[in-house]
Amino acid sequence: MRLTQGAFSFLPDLTDEQIGKQVQYCIDNGWAVNIEFTDDPHPRNTYWELWGQPMFDVRDAAGVMFELNECRKTYKGRHYIRVSAFDSTHTWESLRLSFITDRPEEEPGFALERQEVDGRSIRYTTRAYAANRPEGARY
Amino acid sequence: MNAIDKTKPAEEKRSRYSAGVMEYRKMGYWQPDYEPKDTDVIAVFRITPQDGVDEIEASAAVAGESSTATWTVVWTDRLTACDKYRAKCYRVDPVPNSPGSWFAYIAYDLDLFEPGSIANLSASIIGNVFGFKPLKALRLEDMRLPVAYVKTFDGPATGIVVERERLDKFGRPLLGATVKPKLGLSGRNYGRVVYEALKGGLDFTKDDENINSQPFMHWRERFLYCMEAVNKAQASTGEIKGTYLNVTAATMEDMYERADFAKSLGSSIIMIDLVIGYTAIQSMAKWARRNDMILHLHRAGHSTYTRQKSHGVSFRVITKWMRLAGVDHIHAGTVVGKLEGDPHTTKGYYDLCREDFVPQNLAHGIFFDQPWASTRKLMPVASGGIHAGQMHQLIDLLGEDVVLQFGGGTIGHPMGIQAGATANRVALEAMILARNEGRDLLGEGPEILKAAARHCLPLKQALETWKDVTFNYSSTDTPDFVPQATAAE
Amino acid sequence: MDAVIDDPNIVPDAKAPVPGAIDLRAEFSSSGLAEVFDQLDRELVGLVPVKQRLREIGALLLVDSARKRFGLEAVSPTLHMSFTGNPGTGKTTVALRMAEILHRLGYVRKGHLVTVTRDDLVGQYIGHTAPKTKEILKKAMGGVLFIDEAYYLYRPENERDYGQEAIEILLQVMENQRDDLVVILAGYADRMERFFTANPGFRSRVAHHVDFPDYSAGELDAIGGRILETMNYRMDAGAQEAFRRYIDLRMLQPHFANGRSIRNALDRARLRQANRLFNAERPVTADDLVTLTAEDVLASRVFSGGIDSYPPLHPSN
Repeated sequence: MRLTQGAFSFLPDLTDEQIGKQVQYCIDNGWAVNIEFTDDPHPRNTYWELWGQPMFDVRDAAGVMFELNECRKTYKGRHYIRVSAFDSTHTWESLRLSFITDRPEEEPGFALERQEVDGRSIRYTTRAYAANRPEGARY
Repeated sequence: MNAIDKTKPAEEKRSRYSAGVMEYRKMGYWQPDYEPKDTDVIAVFRITPQDGVDEIEASAAVAGESSTATWTVVWTDRLTACDKYRAKCYRVDPVPNSPGSWFAYIAYDLDLFEPGSIANLSASIIGNVFGFKPLKALRLEDMRLPVAYVKTFDGPATGIVVERERLDKFGRPLLGATVKPKLGLSGRNYGRVVYEALKGGLDFTKDDENINSQPFMHWRERFLYCMEAVNKAQASTGEIKGTYLNVTAATMEDMYERADFAKSLGSSIIMIDLVIGYTAIQSMAKWARRNDMILHLHRAGHSTYTRQKSHGVSFRVITKWMRLAGVDHIHAGTVVGKLEGDPHTTKGYYDLCREDFVPQNLAHGIFFDQPWASTRKLMPVASGGIHAGQMHQLIDLLGEDVVLQFGGGTIGHPMGIQAGATANRVALEAMILARNEGRDLLGEGPEILKAAARHCLPLKQALETWKDVTFNYSSTDTPDFVPQATAAE
Repeated sequence: MDAVIDDPNIVPDAKAPVPGAIDLRAEFSSSGLAEVFDQLDRELVGLVPVKQRLREIGALLLVDSARKRFGLEAVSPTLHMSFTGNPGTGKTTVALRMAEILHRLGYVRKGHLVTVTRDDLVGQYIGHTAPKTKEILKKAMGGVLFIDEAYYLYRPENERDYGQEAIEILLQVMENQRDDLVVILAGYADRMERFFTANPGFRSRVAHHVDFPDYSAGELDAIGGRILETMNYRMDAGAQEAFRRYIDLRMLQPHFANGRSIRNALDRARLRQANRLFNAERPVTADDLVTLTAEDVLASRVFSGGIDSYPPLHPSN
């Protein structure tokens, strides 16, 4: 399966040139760019690990690409890595863009567990197959 | 203007309150020198008087009938601070290129309205006055809602930002589809459509406005099968999915029951129709706020009074009321699709949904600066006769904070619903990627789509299937202040 | 970090289609380089050899980019530079214009200048240096990183100096991300020479050496004139004569910092003028307010053998 979180998961994996253009778009809008990574792809796993601090003062995408490459040196192939951009404008003050740049080589996907409860109601639990193993040893 | 302007408002007390019938303008409802206070509610009406009725008198009558007046003088006025409670018409302008019609600006003191009640606001402003005999037609064009009044409402239960955070979807429009056929599917078959569409790449599916609880599908069946479909699609993509479960019903008790059931099944969003009425909408908004639920509003019925320019209530007023009332989604037009929508007027609606401050913009039909005072943002929904081949136009016109609903454009795909959904999602992502790279969407849109279709067969088929579909008709509700070109390509 | 300087002259430019032949003169004028050089002439007195070097570098880059458009150039050229010279000789100003030249020719994408010294790059404790250096490098990417007194990065007397860590990261980025960043190392000529000898990695990565000569007395006088002009002051004849004598004396003294010393001297002369006018006990005219007189200049310690600086280097004088 292919995890489809993020803005560009239905497109072929972005090249570094394409990632750089998106990052530059974020910088030009005055947004702070974050690099985050995780090996728990659950859709409600909000807090991926931050790779360093959000980059508030970078002028050129090359600065972000530099950190992305550093992050990849450690996590590529074993973790998901995403780039997200934070907008501090009043009444927004949240993310404006988020997309996956790197994914594990294999994506085994999720099991859907159903617990039959009252009447015909069912409680659903989504569980990533990868999450059966301890953090850091999942992919 | 003429001598009428010089008529002094609120004549000397004794003569003003003598029993009998008096012209409205002489009763103090016409005050050309009045300067609206920052806390006044202001309404602008399009007034078409009966032949022979003076526009100033007609406008003053509207002010009177929408506030304190009746057809005759009443001495009980003198028991009140009636000068304060009287609505004041302070300006009457001829409508450009439309002889016989006037824009009347009327200011209302804040104390005329119950805080936080759309029912009360609308009972005053559009209560009696629309049937008033001396007028041929009357339309409420726009309202300036002062901050002091805006702050008495909770506003959207969720709002655009929090909705995006809950769904973990940023930087692109959300994608939806209304399950078709509108009527007749059993719960089990209905859920199939939901599953296919969500798995194929949509974020949401939607019940149609008239899907409630009919013989072919009772509401519990629909909810149970739909949530199975949502959860299954979520597990197969790792992405949060939702379906707007329509809880519209005959009574509030029924609606609460349905909403509670939707919540117990883990749905993130429910839906209501505009026809349930303002009070029911506000009740459901409060319920949604208490229960962390996104509240989708289908504007069923609005065209009966929003579409014709001469009579009714403009949709921009309904949009403002709904942002106050507290819904999270509202259908606000597509421009290019099958339903009414002039591009400039539609832009005005979208601004009213999404901006924190909307400046006056007559070309977009916005008569007043409207401050929203940090009221949460209302997500506009574009729905009705749109398809993947228009993606560049849709994003260019509507921006990224919008739900694009491709019903037929998903379910009608020749290779099936999943393929239809995938086509839309790929077209959307490719277009956002290109926009962010600085490419010219209107100029290069078709090329961008064609390039994206090279790695996506379903998109190629979609572009081929609907390549010639456009709905190029003249709009009826257009701004009065610029010459209008109409929608579509 | 001293500053991130955006040049208001920088405008994004569109890409031209590939022609059959390239008119270098036309390229020169359409790239706006002529304006940059004009501005440099206006901003900086003298510095003829520096301006000449800049024109040469500009021409080289223009030809390089023409070659690239014909497919004749495969690797991106090394653009890192060293600016050597005494303080106050215009190195930062020239670096700012250099950033603009590089931007106009498409060698850096943004064209901003980030000026730093050792303290901005090197940390105080273990693990501190790499993040600091990387932070600065990220900010400078797309533009020019100007490292003033770069030799302080290298402290051979201290084996455990963290400067070495910064040097390694710098060298790596200077080598691998030549498209993203241009580094200018600046400082006194002799110390830079020793720095390059001890760190051959830098020498091999620096393509252009620009030497900034000291200003002549005449040039310093002209600089003073321009400074006064921008501040809306002037000197009367007596003051001018005194100021020329001041320059001759000050140049021979230690801690002479070229243009910077001139600016400081004029600031002090303005102070004295203000004091003089205040104590004169008569109404002042507009003319009084803009005019520096001989006594404003002659009160300087320089004329009695002291060094004119603030805070005073030798308080006893």
